[in-house]
Amino acid sequence: MSELSSAISELTEAQTAAVNWVDGPLFVLAGPGSGKTRVLTTRVAKLLAKSPEKSFRVMALTFTNKAADEMATRIEAFVPEQQHRAKVGTFHSFCMQMLQQHGSHIGINPDFAIYSLQSDRVDLLRDAIRESGLNSDDDRFLSAIDKLKARLIQPEGSAKRFRDSASGERIEQVFRAYEAALSRANALDFGSLIAQAYRLISTYPGVAVHYRRTYAYWMFDEFQDTTDGQYRLIKALAGDSFRNIVAVADDDQIIYQWNGASFQQIQRFRADFQPTEIQLPTNYRCPPSIVAAANQLVVNNTQRTMSKKPLEAGKTTLLYPDGQHIRLTRYSSEEEETIGVATEISKIETSQLGEVSVLARTRALLERMLKGLADADVPAAIAQRRDNFRSPQFLWLSSALRLAARPLDRRALDALTGAFNRWFDTAILSDDVASAAEISSRSLLSEWAASVSSVGGERVEALASIAMRLSSHPSTFRDAITNSLEQFLQESAEDSSDLEEDRAAWTALVRSIGQSIGRDAQLEQFLQELALRSKEPPVVPNTVTLMTIHSAKGKEFDHVYVIGLAEDVLPSFQSVKAGEQSPEMEEERRNCFVAITRARERLCLSYADRYRGWAKKPSRFLQEMGLDLPHTPVS
Amino acid sequence: MQIKRVKISNFRSIRHAEIELNKTTVLIGPNNAGKTAILEAIRIALTRRWGQRGTGFTEYDVHLSGTRTDPRVGDPVVIEIEMHEGAAAEWPEEVTETLADIIQLDPMSGQSSIIMRVSCAWDEGEESYVPKWEFLNLDRNPLTGSGARSTNFQEFFSFLPVFYLDAIRDAGDEFSARSQFWGRLLRTVQIPDALEQKSVRIFNLLNAKLLAADPLLGNLATSLSDISQVATTGSPGQANLRVLPLNTWDLLSKAEVIYQTDGAKPWLPLVRHGQGVQSLSVMFLFRSFVDLLLGELYRPDSTAVLALEEPETHLHPQAARSLFRHVQELEGQKIVSTHSPYFLQHIPFRDLRVVRASADGTEIRSLPREYRCRVPHLPSIDPIIAKAPRLLEYDRGSSELVIKGEMPDPCFRDLLLAYHGQPETDDFHARLRASKNASLEFIPDTELAKLETFARRIRGEIFFANKWILVEGQSEYHILHGMAKSIGYDLDENGIAVIDFQNNGNPECFAALGRALGYSWTMLVDGDPQGTKFLSSVASRNFDSTCMAERTRQLSAGALENQLVADGLQPELKAILVGQSVSGAGTMNDTDLIAALKDDKCSYAAELGAQCAADNALTKRMPSQLRDVITVLKALP
Repeated sequence: MSELSSAISELTEAQTAAVNWVDGPLFVLAGPGSGKTRVLTTRVAKLLAKSPEKSFRVMALTFTNKAADEMATRIEAFVPEQQHRAKVGTFHSFCMQMLQQHGSHIGINPDFAIYSLQSDRVDLLRDAIRESGLNSDDDRFLSAIDKLKARLIQPEGSAKRFRDSASGERIEQVFRAYEAALSRANALDFGSLIAQAYRLISTYPGVAVHYRRTYAYWMFDEFQDTTDGQYRLIKALAGDSFRNIVAVADDDQIIYQWNGASFQQIQRFRADFQPTEIQLPTNYRCPPSIVAAANQLVVNNTQRTMSKKPLEAGKTTLLYPDGQHIRLTRYSSEEEETIGVATEISKIETSQLGEVSVLARTRALLERMLKGLADADVPAAIAQRRDNFRSPQFLWLSSALRLAARPLDRRALDALTGAFNRWFDTAILSDDVASAAEISSRSLLSEWAASVSSVGGERVEALASIAMRLSSHPSTFRDAITNSLEQFLQESAEDSSDLEEDRAAWTALVRSIGQSIGRDAQLEQFLQELALRSKEPPVVPNTVTLMTIHSAKGKEFDHVYVIGLAEDVLPSFQSVKAGEQSPEMEEERRNCFVAITRARERLCLSYADRYRGWAKKPSRFLQEMGLDLPHTPVS
Repeated sequence: MQIKRVKISNFRSIRHAEIELNKTTVLIGPNNAGKTAILEAIRIALTRRWGQRGTGFTEYDVHLSGTRTDPRVGDPVVIEIEMHEGAAAEWPEEVTETLADIIQLDPMSGQSSIIMRVSCAWDEGEESYVPKWEFLNLDRNPLTGSGARSTNFQEFFSFLPVFYLDAIRDAGDEFSARSQFWGRLLRTVQIPDALEQKSVRIFNLLNAKLLAADPLLGNLATSLSDISQVATTGSPGQANLRVLPLNTWDLLSKAEVIYQTDGAKPWLPLVRHGQGVQSLSVMFLFRSFVDLLLGELYRPDSTAVLALEEPETHLHPQAARSLFRHVQELEGQKIVSTHSPYFLQHIPFRDLRVVRASADGTEIRSLPREYRCRVPHLPSIDPIIAKAPRLLEYDRGSSELVIKGEMPDPCFRDLLLAYHGQPETDDFHARLRASKNASLEFIPDTELAKLETFARRIRGEIFFANKWILVEGQSEYHILHGMAKSIGYDLDENGIAVIDFQNNGNPECFAALGRALGYSWTMLVDGDPQGTKFLSSVASRNFDSTCMAERTRQLSAGALENQLVADGLQPELKAILVGQSVSGAGTMNDTDLIAALKDDKCSYAAELGAQCAADNALTKRMPSQLRDVITVLKALP
């Protein structure tokens, strides 16, 4: 029996119904741990396996590159021969490809850069403001611009969107200047990827027709995270006729409301596409008591599907006996909480530490926890998306590559000199390099290489020669990477944890990029893909993972510690202020729901009586879950 | 899917050329003009041998000129192949789906296009010519992302397999087990296992019986076995005689086509037949290959691209004439070069490409249905297009303004205005002007249809000529030939066709045809109202007065005979008529003489022409208009 048919035979009835769905719209309401990714990948594989003689493609989009890579790997294992017909990616990567291929209709060149760094965007905005003679304070409008872009609003006429017409006018001017500067730099930011793709297909319906014609089946994972802009993109892409769409969502896991995700999108999908609905309520991840707690918690929300069935416990083998799956601990202070939890974790066998996670509502709590674990000699790391590398070595390498692709990119030169100065403790000014380049009419990168020769030293000379060759032969960038990595190996071991992390991240990134665009891709594309991805290193074995609840979505661990379950922490201060009936409070409740449903074997909840010196009550969610609150803190 | 257009730069004799391709396209032109370069460019562009460095191009493929003598310095060889859908969803589903990542779109209609570029330049580092294949977007920028993945090329090439049949086709080679069509056809033959085993048993049995039939054979086998004692160490080998095949493949690989010319003749192997039959058979072999195997070897929706050099080679004219129909009926897209006037006779005008060597490299002329101007789309041109819906169109799939006929001045002015104030106004204006001028050469379908009817007989001759003289009738033909010979400009040797347009259509049509296809011409008409009408109808085809004054001559005294008499050639004319036993010719007055000459135009003209050829003094006395059309033509490029 093939891998695929054995996977299909292991599905439950409800899962099978979703996998076997062929034509027409379908909405799969799937709780945590219900095997939705398995349903998606199996469905893609089955559609492809059933039609080996056909050439239509299947599209499956999700929200993180990691999830997409995982899906692609599973599909490849099922149908290696047909894998090329599956387009698996993120919304952003899909839009990027659409713009690479068809962006010329709206004036976008295929070799555009992606500005994923906030610092790049701020610099660009400041330059744009200066050049158009606007008020230099106006760079504070960047987040307003991002909100407009998330709603797919073009700069022209955006002033009308503001109640106060004066500030609206001002924002519109800044927005125009920013977009014009992006366009001059042949660059797009994340917001532009979605907004420009939408502009392309809404202006030129022929492009959408092409996608409808070539992609016969579309699937969207984590549909609850879809923003208004992404939803409208899907809607425009589907037009009036295309209906082969499967959306998989859990309305109890909407935790990106602040970023535009909303129950509304699910309701719009239901209204616009009239999908058949299948529920996958069975949870195969958590012990029954956690399932029960999750159910009791989430019924307190109103912004969810009325007819949604409660989760059913489906896990059959449990590591711990009944009554030991949830533990709630009260500490007198957050310091005590940190020490207490760290001590608990230090008792776990080292080989199991990779299966331990500490979750918290905020990063601040995690930082404290990280220190606490370090004090208890427990290896731990905070896992979070990184927009950039941390070590001067890799910052140097990535900006050298950027400069090779875009010889006039001043921001890349700034980053290059900055990284080099940090690395070698020099004080080379990028302005000096730039003006020298103007006189010598050399490229910025080769001018930089020439200017560092005064620093001296074998290493510097090696880097300069790598840069020199990279500048004159950008197509040899893979050699430049290999040579640079060799140089990095000679770095002294002290204080090299950033370097080690970056090196691990780099290796994983190169593998992932190779998987999605091939190993012979050109420099520009390599950089586009690099910009899309997080530079966070892969998890080190036998290390405790610390995560915010937001980053924990889609993950699971044997042992999950959720800390800071106190009022004003989880739920957050803002949501408490907004009130029990507020959407903010519902979002916090979903945060708690997501957090507890990460646990495969054991869930350890904790709270302290005081946070930052203020007395805090235990989180209302604890009571909603039906847990008994300890009368006294542990000592 | 078929190739719509090929652009070639710096390749062999071609500096820059653009050629539109139809389902069948026929290239004509003198030797060394660049026909083979065009076919080869297409072949190289559509064949990429993987993992081999330097394949496709060599230093001999780089266009060299006075300013460029080192192939390693200067612009690269560039070949662009374009495919465009005629209507949305015209290409099969399989094509659009498989090639989804490289397809470009007309963003309004959704029509698909694919543009592929091969470029090749000397690489200092590699010390060789490094070719680069890439797919382009509509702005001619290379695609990135999934459009740049190399798997796209394999997929793309599998839809457009290219086959090249060069001028020398040896049936012996083409029908061998290793050949491109025959060998592959044979290898797909499947013999059921049972039959295979049975055959082998019979071969073995028969082989043994034959060896046993004559002791000589048996002894031979035994003595050959001694080889093994010398050649091998260890276990002794064995040699045997085999008079029958070892297995069915052995048998099949020797299969050959036999052919019987007619029922009374013996069946003979193909290679025993004449060159013509051999050459022809190779073409039909290609047809069988496409019919039987193409879909299986490539894809069900593959279109074979056949580059065919001189299919008429070794064929009898009659066979060459009917050959075109067979070539046209071949599946796939055909690009054919020919030197045969007979083959040419049935080729539609629009399918013809005249290839010439010019000072600036190879030049290609054709009779396009439309002219294309690469200017960006602007909202302000929409109303201009709306005003002339049958003439103008904007193709967003290729970002070109399409002009489907002669562009009138007011329309041209509107377009200039629309592109005024753009960042590249000068450039756009220059392109519009060039396209407008080109559109003045437009020849509508109705006119070509008339030519198809009237001029079929002379088509082969005039298109293989270099220049044309347009005259009203047959008598000018004879006289001009004689005169030209005496002034050292033999019309035949110099490839000059004298076209008697009255019998073959009308003069303006030939004049326009000559201009569009690059044949220089001069014209002679009678000095009568009809002649004046001919002149004005030619002028009406956008020939300006300078051009008319240079190239056309009108007799002043009326018809040719009137002019000859007016120019004092009565003695020679009378002598000719006397020689032809026309009664009373010697004493005729001018009026009667003219009447007698007109009575039998051809015979007097043939004689007068012959006399001119032999007598330079006589030629000098001939009407100046006749001399002019020769000397002016001689001077024209």
